[in-house]
Amino acid sequence: MRIEVVENVLKANDAVAAANRRLLERYGLLAVNLMSSPGSGKTTLLERTIPMLGPAEPCSVMVGDLQTTRDAERVGPYTVQATQINTGTGCHLSATQVAEALGRMELERLAYLFIENVGNMVCPAEFDLGEHARAVLLSVPEGDDKVAKYPTLFQKADVILLTKVDLLGVLDFHIDRVREDLARVNTRAPLLRVSSRTGEGLGDWLDWLRRTRAAAAGAGA
Amino acid sequence: MHEMAIASQIVEQSLRIAAEHGAGRILEVEIEVGAMRGVVPEALQMAFTVCSEGTAAEGARLHIATVAARARCKLCGREFEPQYGFFVCPACDRADVELLAGQDILLKGLECRSPQEADRP
Repeated sequence: MRIEVVENVLKANDAVAAANRRLLERYGLLAVNLMSSPGSGKTTLLERTIPMLGPAEPCSVMVGDLQTTRDAERVGPYTVQATQINTGTGCHLSATQVAEALGRMELERLAYLFIENVGNMVCPAEFDLGEHARAVLLSVPEGDDKVAKYPTLFQKADVILLTKVDLLGVLDFHIDRVREDLARVNTRAPLLRVSSRTGEGLGDWLDWLRRTRAAAAGAGA
Repeated sequence: MHEMAIASQIVEQSLRIAAEHGAGRILEVEIEVGAMRGVVPEALQMAFTVCSEGTAAEGARLHIATVAARARCKLCGREFEPQYGFFVCPACDRADVELLAGQDILLKGLECRSPQEADRP
């Protein structure tokens, strides 16, 4: 027998993501999904960002990793809560994993929830987690060809952070190539140049976070 | 390897639909995959084989049809087929587009043993 159906296969994930988004909106916080390759500086960026936001804008972090709780331990001291999600062999976070972790978190007094996805430039882009915004990191040592090589990740970004810019003078990295490729992929997301080591550009990143949070609160009201 | 998560969804949804129709074993699963989803058909086939093991879908054929991407330029309104991940309008050379097709993964149909045949080996 033949059964005709039209059913979205990612429906289950998308439905959970929508529920996550509704829950997060109730608390008036901004949830940012950070995506990039391993070693591009997601955790270090958070170690610098959260103290700069300070006690007036409390943050929690949800960290996705295959193994270890190292990243959660690193950001833990700066946060209200740091929750580790070990995905085992899974190369991305799913909305269900985020929903389970949200159930263990105190969301009441948070200004920001950072979701640090598994380091991977392919799979995380395909799964909506219920976040409000997607931040994609590209570090200078990775090379200036990554936008062209992994376009879907950059296409979905709301902000793109070029990290480790203190190495621009040391490595053959041409920022114009990144800009040219981005012009073909995503003209909406701003490109911010940051260095967690020197602090360069972190002010722009904080401005972006505050603007985006204010806009999300305005849209939700 | 996000194909594993997709395959496990396909198996789960197929089993539920077949059960709702009182069907027996699943013989074939037909899906449409948008070109923008970055799915590797061979990887999805392999993942489907693994995920369906020990279920009523074990041994079923997975038929994958790829759906080409379609985009509309927000600036000049032109519709075109973007290449994987690149969204530049051929008319005005800008990348401010709305995606019309090629983003979905859809389950389209199942071929199953009928309820009468359900108990047959």
